[in-house]
Amino acid sequence: MIGERRWSKTGWLILFLLPGLGGLLLFTVLPILASFVLAFFAWDLLTPPQFVGLQNFTAIIYDKEFWAALRHTLTFIAGYLPLVVSLGLGMALAMNVAVRGIGLLRTLFFFPVVSSWVAVALLWSWLFNPKYGLINYLLSLIGITGPGWLFDPAWAMPAVILTSVWKDLGFVLVLFLAGLQAIPLDYIEAAALDGAGRIAQFRYITLPLLAPTTFFVLIISLINSFQVFDQVWVMTKGGPAGATTVLVERIVRHAFSYGEMGYAAAISWVLFFLVFGATIVQFRVQRMGKFDV
Amino acid sequence: MPRLSIRFLLLSLLTAALLAGCTAVAPAAPGAATAGEATSQEPVTITYFTFSAAPDHMEDLGQMVAAFEAANPTTKVKVETAPFDQYFTKLQTLVAGGTAPDVFELNYENFVSYASKDVLLDMTPLAGADAGFADVFYPLAYKAFQRDGKQYGLPASFSNVVLYYNKDLFDAAGVDYPTAEWTWQDELAAAQKLTDPANGVWGEFSPIQFWEFYKTAAQNGCSVLSADGTTSTINEPSCVEALTWMVDKINKYQISPTDADMAGVSDGDMFKQGKLAMLRTGIWMFDSFKDAPFAWDIALEPGNTQKAHHFFANGVAIAATTEHPQEAWAWAKFFTSSPEAAKIRVAASWELPALNDQALFDQWLAITPPASRTVVFQALDTLVTPPVIEKQSQMQDAVNLLLEQVKSGALTPQEALDQAKTEIDALLK
Amino acid sequence: MSSQSIPQQSAVRSQPQRKNRHLGAAVLRYLVLGAGGLLMVIPFWWMLVTSLKPPGSVLTVTPELFPRQPTLESYQRVWATIPIGQMFLNSLIVTAVSVGAQLISSAMAAYAFARMQWRARDAVFLLYVATLMVPSQVTITPLFILMQRLGWVDTYQGLLAPSLVSAFGAFLLRQAMLSVPREYEEAAVLDGANHWTIFRQVVLPMIGPALATLAVFATMSTWNSFLWPLFVTRDERLMTLPVGLALLHGRFTTEWSMIMAGAVISVVPIILMYLAAQRAFVRGVALSGLK
Repeated sequence: MIGERRWSKTGWLILFLLPGLGGLLLFTVLPILASFVLAFFAWDLLTPPQFVGLQNFTAIIYDKEFWAALRHTLTFIAGYLPLVVSLGLGMALAMNVAVRGIGLLRTLFFFPVVSSWVAVALLWSWLFNPKYGLINYLLSLIGITGPGWLFDPAWAMPAVILTSVWKDLGFVLVLFLAGLQAIPLDYIEAAALDGAGRIAQFRYITLPLLAPTTFFVLIISLINSFQVFDQVWVMTKGGPAGATTVLVERIVRHAFSYGEMGYAAAISWVLFFLVFGATIVQFRVQRMGKFDV
Repeated sequence: MPRLSIRFLLLSLLTAALLAGCTAVAPAAPGAATAGEATSQEPVTITYFTFSAAPDHMEDLGQMVAAFEAANPTTKVKVETAPFDQYFTKLQTLVAGGTAPDVFELNYENFVSYASKDVLLDMTPLAGADAGFADVFYPLAYKAFQRDGKQYGLPASFSNVVLYYNKDLFDAAGVDYPTAEWTWQDELAAAQKLTDPANGVWGEFSPIQFWEFYKTAAQNGCSVLSADGTTSTINEPSCVEALTWMVDKINKYQISPTDADMAGVSDGDMFKQGKLAMLRTGIWMFDSFKDAPFAWDIALEPGNTQKAHHFFANGVAIAATTEHPQEAWAWAKFFTSSPEAAKIRVAASWELPALNDQALFDQWLAITPPASRTVVFQALDTLVTPPVIEKQSQMQDAVNLLLEQVKSGALTPQEALDQAKTEIDALLK
Repeated sequence: MSSQSIPQQSAVRSQPQRKNRHLGAAVLRYLVLGAGGLLMVIPFWWMLVTSLKPPGSVLTVTPELFPRQPTLESYQRVWATIPIGQMFLNSLIVTAVSVGAQLISSAMAAYAFARMQWRARDAVFLLYVATLMVPSQVTITPLFILMQRLGWVDTYQGLLAPSLVSAFGAFLLRQAMLSVPREYEEAAVLDGANHWTIFRQVVLPMIGPALATLAVFATMSTWNSFLWPLFVTRDERLMTLPVGLALLHGRFTTEWSMIMAGAVISVVPIILMYLAAQRAFVRGVALSGLK
């Protein structure tokens, strides 16, 4: 009797767990472990793998293109992060009122968020076209000769950054709106009664109370921007003159163009540790700030 | 809300189950479009993967496939294409993924990488079964697809690069047409007269990339690899001079457009729009330019210390993993050497068939434009073959990156080529 | 999962603020909002306008802001050059199967974590959470090798397999299930219900919003997914829309009217889905940050 109950309990457990856990083990856990092992091998998938020890990792140290890609990734983050956070916060503050049409506006801000990166990147490649694009045309109307954007090593990354800010603004905006609405009204009313001006209200009430959200947004955006790839691949393929190579682009290039599976895996682990560092901060912040979605 | 969600969930479940059922029933069907047709007694289908057919010659290839299928009713050829700049990444992925197409196109440069990895079917016995088979082909092209004494591919076509020029623009500017005696200096002088910024006309265009570089270097007596292929000589003074000349045309003399000036429009399209007086590009553009609204012709490329012209050979190889070697061989043979396919190729000016058949070449020469098609054969007298190493993609990417950095002014030609030498030497190890 | 829709809350709370609003601040607000709105709309407008021009006509130095003679020619050319209908269908199939499978597998796993007592539960749950921290790029190389070994490169299975389960989904639904009161379940147990009945009839109905959120999140990420389909498909008839779009771009680098036509085709369905289920979408996206 007891044995039967035990069996049925195990049976139920297996039934419920198998589809999800099986898939997870096969398509996520196994590849993660394999990736770790792979990082110590040289393998082009055509000839037998060779154990090379730490060679892939030491090669990274001397790989100029890797460092360039890391630098570009950090440049991307340095440009993208402040812009998307400040614009997102500004927009959220402006939208945190009940005005006719605000719902429509929020809907609009979400169009880029739901659109695929490929479509958005192609759209902006077209907008940024130096001769026939809308952006340089509009600039010419106010007397500015626009740069070569994606064809100019100095302007390609700014163009990618602007495109990314445009796409993700709605996402950041929604997070900030949620954060703003979680601030109890009494606080602001009390401050207003005490004669605090709007700027003071923002500086001493809204901003500190919004801190957990801000941190959350920062960390999420940071993690996502370490993994920047789709827009770069579509807009520049890493060019011109290698000005927009990024870490994931390196992984893809080594794995799929050069057949260097082990080296690609090694770079992906470097990426993991970068993201992991950011994730740890995120968990700390979440515990600290009690941010709750 | 909860009720709606349940319905939604059920719907999803149902859809998922249905779709899962569909895919489970026909797991071997490669796509939904063909799933319905996958009935019994299907002829053998082989896939052919190509870069040179799209987009201009898809119909010509279609005709060849139709002719082949008419002659071989039990074999179907499924054509798949990728643009040249994505083709080799895709092919590498597929071969590595164990799903190599049965027959695929390879250019001479990448042939060695693949042949050295044992992923190509050894055609020697198949070719040997036909007496005199090898004699059908243009000897140089046939040999290009051998490695270690084995035949791993059949040459399908060969091509080279010549100097195209827009006669109307030359006439308007009162400049004499290019001749076989032209040097870089003559080219520069003419281009300076032809460049007309007000009308957006540029004197000349040559791309800044790996292939253009090794040929331009050869025109100055320099080569990328040492004669024995063990080390790189890419930073010798004559190579540096060649690279300086290439970028000076854009940055110093301003007779060639920058990338931003071109704004993504290809050199071929700019030529067709009458925006380029001279263009170095391949003879594969003949068909695309035939309807240009102006008179144009071709000439030998100007050299500096010597003449040098590209020689490109495209071939087809069979995957070692193919399940249908006989059918694949039949198609490879038909595509490269059958009179039917050659006729279609010649009529479409789709490069040149790599055959040893003067009558065929005579037919090809008779087609205009351009009037001076003999130039294509004259150019073969001074041909240079591409530098080839096993890690070809890496070398090409590394050199391309450095060349672009010179073009953008981030590196001097000397710095870039010094770095290129270091990197190529590392790849040769 | 109790957050209400944002406009309602803002309607309530804005009233007291209105009283001491300076005119200047209001003007500034409208300027910012107006500019922001335009910035969002104009690119999409430009996408649409470009796509309605005939092929070969868009490379003009003075752009036409309104299509003088709108035509569907570019759409027809796209239709004729790549099997975009098939790609559309592929995207639909892949999305439907992935979303369905993710919902089922995640909900069942979440039930095991939230509603069943077993020994290694916390350890296994930790494993789930741990995989969330590893960026997907780490797994792409071995995943590709795995597909190669299974012979699944360039097949629907290969395209689908990695997106059938979602650790994030299990995590999300577990949280939702934990908030379902035990009393409902106990009543069902007294009626002799087994786990499946409880799962189906008690727990699932209570976590509708969470399921909808996961569905939306999964829909978006699958419909728009690029990196994996890019490398696992070769056959055009197997490609999804984003990969097909990239292919179109590779083939017609400056035929922008055709490329924009392709972009419109890929963007419209997801925007329609978004408009139909806005609230769930916004919440799904806000949560996607957790992944």
